[in-house]
Amino acid sequence: MEQLLLALVSMAAGVGACVLYFWGTNKILDGIFPARGENAGRNILRANSIRPWLFLGPAIALLTLYLIYPVINSVILSFYGPSGKSYVGTANYSWLISDAGFRESLRNNLLWLFVVPAASTFFGLIAAALTDRISWGNIAKSLIFMPMAISFVGASVIWKFVYDIRGENIEQIGLLNAIVVALGGEPQAWITLPFWNNFFLMVILIWIQTGFAMVILSAALRGIPEETVEAAVLDGANPLQIFMKIKVPQIWGTIAVVWTTITILVLKVFDIVLAMTNGQWGSQVLANYMFDWMFRGLDFGRSATIAIVIMVMVIPIMIWNIREARKDV
Amino acid sequence: MQGIAGQRPLLIWVVHLSVAALVLLWTIPTFGLLVSSFRDGDQLSVSGWWTALTATERNIIFRAPASAAQVQDGDQWVIAGNVFEGQTEGEVTAFGFSSKAPAAFAPGQAAEMRRGQVLEVSRNGDFRIASPEEMKGKRGARIFYTSIDPPRFTLENYRNVLFSEGIGRSFINTLTVTIPATIIPILIAAFAAYALAWMQFPGRALLLAVVVGLLVVPLQMSLIPLLRLYTDIGIGKSYIGIWLAHTGFGLPLAIYLLRNYIKGLPKEIIESAKVDGASDFEIFIKIVLPLSFPALASFAIFQFLWTWNDLLVATVFLGNNEEQLVMTGRLRELLGSRGGNWEILTASAFVSIAVPLLVFFSLQRYLVRGLLAGSVK
Amino acid sequence: MILRFGTTTAAAALAVGLTSMSAQAELVFKPGEDSRFNWESYEALKVNDLSGKTVTVFGPWLGPDKDLVENTMAYFEEATGIDVQYSGSDSFEQQIVIDTQAGSAPDVSIFPQPGLASDLAGKGFLAPLGSDTADWVRDNYAAGQSWVDLGTFKGNDGEEELFGFFYKVDVKSLVWYSPDNFDDAGYDVPQTMEELKALTEQIVADGGTPWCIGLGSGGATGWPGTDWVEDMMLRTQPPEVYDQWVRNEIPFNDPKVVGAIEEFGWFANNEKFVDTPGAVAASDFRDSPKGLFSSPPACYMHRQASFIPSFFPEGTEMGVDADFFYFPAYEGKDLGAPVLGAGTVFALTNDTPEGRALIEFLKSPIAHEVWMAQSGFLTPHKGVNVDAYADDTLKGLGEILLGATTFRFDGSDLMPGAVGAGSFWTGMVDFVGGKPADQVGTEIQASWDAIK
Repeated sequence: MEQLLLALVSMAAGVGACVLYFWGTNKILDGIFPARGENAGRNILRANSIRPWLFLGPAIALLTLYLIYPVINSVILSFYGPSGKSYVGTANYSWLISDAGFRESLRNNLLWLFVVPAASTFFGLIAAALTDRISWGNIAKSLIFMPMAISFVGASVIWKFVYDIRGENIEQIGLLNAIVVALGGEPQAWITLPFWNNFFLMVILIWIQTGFAMVILSAALRGIPEETVEAAVLDGANPLQIFMKIKVPQIWGTIAVVWTTITILVLKVFDIVLAMTNGQWGSQVLANYMFDWMFRGLDFGRSATIAIVIMVMVIPIMIWNIREARKDV
Repeated sequence: MQGIAGQRPLLIWVVHLSVAALVLLWTIPTFGLLVSSFRDGDQLSVSGWWTALTATERNIIFRAPASAAQVQDGDQWVIAGNVFEGQTEGEVTAFGFSSKAPAAFAPGQAAEMRRGQVLEVSRNGDFRIASPEEMKGKRGARIFYTSIDPPRFTLENYRNVLFSEGIGRSFINTLTVTIPATIIPILIAAFAAYALAWMQFPGRALLLAVVVGLLVVPLQMSLIPLLRLYTDIGIGKSYIGIWLAHTGFGLPLAIYLLRNYIKGLPKEIIESAKVDGASDFEIFIKIVLPLSFPALASFAIFQFLWTWNDLLVATVFLGNNEEQLVMTGRLRELLGSRGGNWEILTASAFVSIAVPLLVFFSLQRYLVRGLLAGSVK
Repeated sequence: MILRFGTTTAAAALAVGLTSMSAQAELVFKPGEDSRFNWESYEALKVNDLSGKTVTVFGPWLGPDKDLVENTMAYFEEATGIDVQYSGSDSFEQQIVIDTQAGSAPDVSIFPQPGLASDLAGKGFLAPLGSDTADWVRDNYAAGQSWVDLGTFKGNDGEEELFGFFYKVDVKSLVWYSPDNFDDAGYDVPQTMEELKALTEQIVADGGTPWCIGLGSGGATGWPGTDWVEDMMLRTQPPEVYDQWVRNEIPFNDPKVVGAIEEFGWFANNEKFVDTPGAVAASDFRDSPKGLFSSPPACYMHRQASFIPSFFPEGTEMGVDADFFYFPAYEGKDLGAPVLGAGTVFALTNDTPEGRALIEFLKSPIAHEVWMAQSGFLTPHKGVNVDAYADDTLKGLGEILLGATTFRFDGSDLMPGAVGAGSFWTGMVDFVGGKPADQVGTEIQASWDAIK
């Protein structure tokens, strides 16, 4: 009971401090530059030039501490040896270029980038569009969303029961192999098939992320003004045409956001690979390769170098987003 | 929309069927886990979960009691009993006494074993080993039998998870982590997103680009420098540390998603409020916040799920002691040092899934209702 | 409830679980009552009064193992008044790296492999145990010098010192089988490698499958294969060559090493010899031994370390349903009876008097006997009463340990992490997947060169 109380108090304190900051600083700002009296106009201008920074302040502070500082730290580390004490110049980078494991991870990562965001967004869009049309749509949505609620540990157990393989004469406990055997095929060790195993791992992430895409896209679809659709109906367009020509273009922005978010998630994916194969059988990806060098190789220089590569890969997405942001202005 | 589909009954059927197919594909793996979580640990690793629903044929080895249990019956020495040990109702369809031929005899037949011993097993599982001389040895004979088992389920796995020591405490610990770690980033991100969407200041586009860039920073790079910092300034492993960590790691996505939503709100509302002399703070509190509620709720769901299921951040920034161990950590402990207990894993996966699903279902209606009114670009 | 060695110990472990629930853990064996234990060494601990002090211990043990270690530590607490706070994690390796780097390390850490401890010692994160402890280990452990050598690493000043104290040992050169299945088929326990290979072929000729081999272990997939290769290395080459191999003084693609890998391949890469042909690497090592106990048996033999009974089906009684024999050596090679083993290393990640007191406690016979009498614990400590072992199985394992003419430590644990817990694992997976042994050796050597 006492612990519960302590938990509640600390929760309230944490959230309260946050609320107090925003409310307090804005009150103070309004107090210093009152929007009335003789200097009202000048005060409003001054307040308006400060207020964005009040709004952004905590976010910038936290981002700097939790993300920018480690990034800078990594950049520096990438020029140092295993323990971060001896300067090695660009040795880590030249090692990376000649490293077969890195090339394999890079190839796989590109494969992931190509497949997972596209597939998740596609299935998410289909699910969102179709479930909106039927009476039991909400139930269907919840079921498709469910994988989102499962931890990676849980997900890896679930997929173990799908991909598992037993000897030829023994009953298969993996669903996929049971189906294959029932159809007269030979059981396969799915996650060890070179190259194709990448896709079996991707399926897991697609399975998880489709729910995310669906929820966001469904919201966007419902936000489309009725008039545009009705006009098309009057023109005699069939549902597929309406969907492709009227609805999809209107939610294009949201699709892009979903796509970007999943792309970035793919760049960071390591839990699935770590749990299912740990990058063996040619299924290594960059994030897991970095993890490997950090905790197995105990080489902070090399792992930092791999992290830099991951961050560099996001640059095209950054540029695209800057362009989009400029358009908005 | 109902009207459109109503005109084409064939089409509505296609829609129903495709959704059903999609749902089926998405739920079957989880359903397998659900079924598995009610199964016996040893059965899990020998038969597929789909067989749990039907009466199945199984090959089982039963060890008869050792010679100490024999009774004299006339000129014979007899050990008798039931291979099911009264636990389940099954039906023996074949039996044997050697691993080389485990199904050599039909129930009711008499099987001649070594030293003149005779084994009989009847359909209901009753067995009788008769020997002309006194039996010896500390090891009982093995009886191999094939039986038709009715579906058998157990709550044992859930009992192990739910009534394990300290699980309640861990539940509270997890809530202590997740609730502030969900609310704080949303609050901070909402203010920042509004500033990035509707306020004029130098460096706005650059700031947004930085946010997008930070989305991709691998978490692992941050762990050591941050924990070192925490240790240096005396925060150490504490709740405040993990709240801030989750906030920092979750902020870029929160800002990114919320900015896109807030930017899509109707321009006219915000501009007319500005003309009426409302400050940005007032506009944010009175107009933007209520209008963005659906987006906030949907992000809250995601952030909640991530923090709830997180293990990595919790193991680094919180201790392993009773006051700080979270659910994921506790469940991992249950799995044992080498993680071989699949049956515990299956049950614990469902225990940990329950709360996030509850949150999703309770917030889901906001997602739908709120967004119908709002506009998305 | 995991069933360890037999039902009696399961009951003991249950009792353990119950006692550890109470705030002040009660002692499993009452001091002074059971004559198997060295109670004098327990009384001697009381000299050091540490009331009100705390020592934090972090290790890889969870579940039943955690109960056992806490149970043993309870004697230290009871005697000295200290509070031992043990916490375990299955991602110990990552967490100890993070904690030491960040300066939030516990007082004492229990390393599952010496390799990681050696790395951390080299970075200055471990405190040396001192020459007194080194002398003690040399005098009191069987083959003491080798345990001192295994725990001696280079510090960050380049000086070699004793950093690791071995406590709790596993024997790896074991083959598990079902005595009943052997009886039914009329097989005898092989005494030599030649006999073992003949038996393997005999089983196939009789229409059975000799081996259950599974290398799957999630993120650590491949490690059971490294144990096979190490065991084969010790059975085809003199121990000196093994040591050179572990230190990379002979390359990984040396014909001697390749030969050992191919010896492993003789068993694992023959479709008729294994229960999951083509999927050896994908089969989970935890599920693999269950094939011994299925009906009809999926296989007759399983080579694995002394901890594996934890993963036998529930209700399996050691000595009745399952038993083990020593993974034999070649009669024709005259290399004696080599034994492969592993062990956990205690090290000071934070130099405190309490941490040092804990290491002192580990030297007392009572610290070993209490765990021996529960389950799953082997020790090279010469001063303990072997009658304290909980059952005959443990005693038998202890005898294998003592009967070894050559004892060598798990080589992959001694190699650098990137090899021993990286490319060596991957190499084994590739090898059972069909890659030639010399190519596997060359690739592992390349990864070793890359970190020099």
